[in-house]
Amino acid sequence: MVLTPDFATRPVISFQHVHKTYPTGTEALRDINLEVPEGDFLFLVGPSGAGKSTLVRLLIREEKPSKGKIFVDGVELGRMKRRRLPHYRRKVGLVFQDFKLLPNLTVYENVAFALRVLGSSDHQVRDRVAEALDTVSLYGKESTYPANLSGGEQQRVAIARALVHAPRFIIADEPTGNLDPATAWEIMQLFLRINARGATVVMATHNREIVDLLRRRVIAIDSGQIARDDRSGRYHDDFAKSEVRA
Amino acid sequence: MILRNLKFALNSAWQSFWRNLTVSLAAVLSITLILILAGINLLVGHAFSQVLDGFREKVSQISINVSDDTPLQTVYDYQTQLAADPRVASVKFVTKDEALTQFKSDPQNFILAQQIEGNPLDAKLDVQVKNLDDVAAIDAQARQWPGVDPTDPTNYQGDFINRMLQLSYWLGLAGDGLLFILLIVSIVIVMNTIRTAVYHRRKEIEVMKLVGATEWFVRGPFVLEGVMTGLIAASIALALLAVGYEPVVVRFKTDVGFIPLSYDPAFISSLARDLLLAGALLGALGSYIGVRRYVRI
Repeated sequence: MVLTPDFATRPVISFQHVHKTYPTGTEALRDINLEVPEGDFLFLVGPSGAGKSTLVRLLIREEKPSKGKIFVDGVELGRMKRRRLPHYRRKVGLVFQDFKLLPNLTVYENVAFALRVLGSSDHQVRDRVAEALDTVSLYGKESTYPANLSGGEQQRVAIARALVHAPRFIIADEPTGNLDPATAWEIMQLFLRINARGATVVMATHNREIVDLLRRRVIAIDSGQIARDDRSGRYHDDFAKSEVRA
Repeated sequence: MILRNLKFALNSAWQSFWRNLTVSLAAVLSITLILILAGINLLVGHAFSQVLDGFREKVSQISINVSDDTPLQTVYDYQTQLAADPRVASVKFVTKDEALTQFKSDPQNFILAQQIEGNPLDAKLDVQVKNLDDVAAIDAQARQWPGVDPTDPTNYQGDFINRMLQLSYWLGLAGDGLLFILLIVSIVIVMNTIRTAVYHRRKEIEVMKLVGATEWFVRGPFVLEGVMTGLIAASIALALLAVGYEPVVVRFKTDVGFIPLSYDPAFISSLARDLLLAGALLGALGSYIGVRRYVRI
């Protein structure tokens, strides 16, 4: 069953007049105002260079806003002390287009890594990694190294790692970018299941078919600004055209 | 949890050492060479200090020659006075007869001793001074004593002692300077070697940070790997130095006989402690600095 986000719920992510200008002078984001309620499933769409990745980087505090405030779960990210940052990131599950798996570690070790960082016991690690691998249907591939997996399987490992510590937020940056349509759809099913369990999902994507098919909330970003916020939106043809132009 | 993190860090450090064996061996080799140089410096320093100690002991003993007409009681009084001086380690009265016996018993004086008639030697007070720096003052004081032989008051050789003190000072300074330079060079080498290792693993570090690892969680395995590298290097350097120490000293004694260098096996344990400590610290510090740029969240 797909849950529809309840917009009456208090926002767990809030962007307030956020601007981001890089030291080179590039203005990546301009006056972003955005509220994401708990349990929401949100697509960030837009042409390349529109500012989607910058928004994701701000959300995981790889960057700080030049102006404005970002609150996640009541904490202002821009003012968060450096030593608190690891604790914040433990609440977040991150999935990237390039998977970011460690090639020297097996599937099991890659997923377990997120728990080792938390200082979990061997017993906890065993149970939770098994559960996470089961969720992404990779049970039996524990001893395989990433190089011996397909793109879809590697992304499953990355998702297992992202959800193994039961994060409240999943932030995904083009998670289906390197996958064929069938595999991309399987991966999306996983995200929907994670969302159905209560995790808030923010996903930057170029995958028009998936966005159009799922009809979830769509934030369209163009030239660093929010161009559209549809509660059950589509990718929109205008962006497809501008992407072609770009 | 701390123990678990330590276990994880140790495992990671051990695995990483073997996985990046080429870089690890380069680091071991660099540190080994540096520690061998440092070890040689310490051994040479120790050998010289042994030689200097021998000289010091000799020159920190002065003989105050007693005039023949000095009453014995005056000599005893002065001996007591000297013995009470905190700068003096010991005082021994040598009578004229004992002085002659000593003189004759020295094989170097064999021919001269046969030509001596009577006893031309003075009785003397052999004073062992605790600190070499105080010998001049004791000598000056002895020369003021009425019972001293005015023609040949003492055997004190001020210039020689001063030169010895200066030599000892400059040698110590040169040794310290060399150690300091080696320390800086080795930190830079270790830092760059570890930085290369870290560069190869920057993706791993990035992932660690993204999943919420603290700076110390990321840094810990690298620092431990540095300590491990340093300890391995120190063990190799120590083994080579320990094997080479005695033959080199023996060879040196044969070739340069006038410098009384000696083999001191007891020094090996102190060298081991210094080298292992230096290796561990160098490895840890080099890793800490090398990894800093990448680890900063």
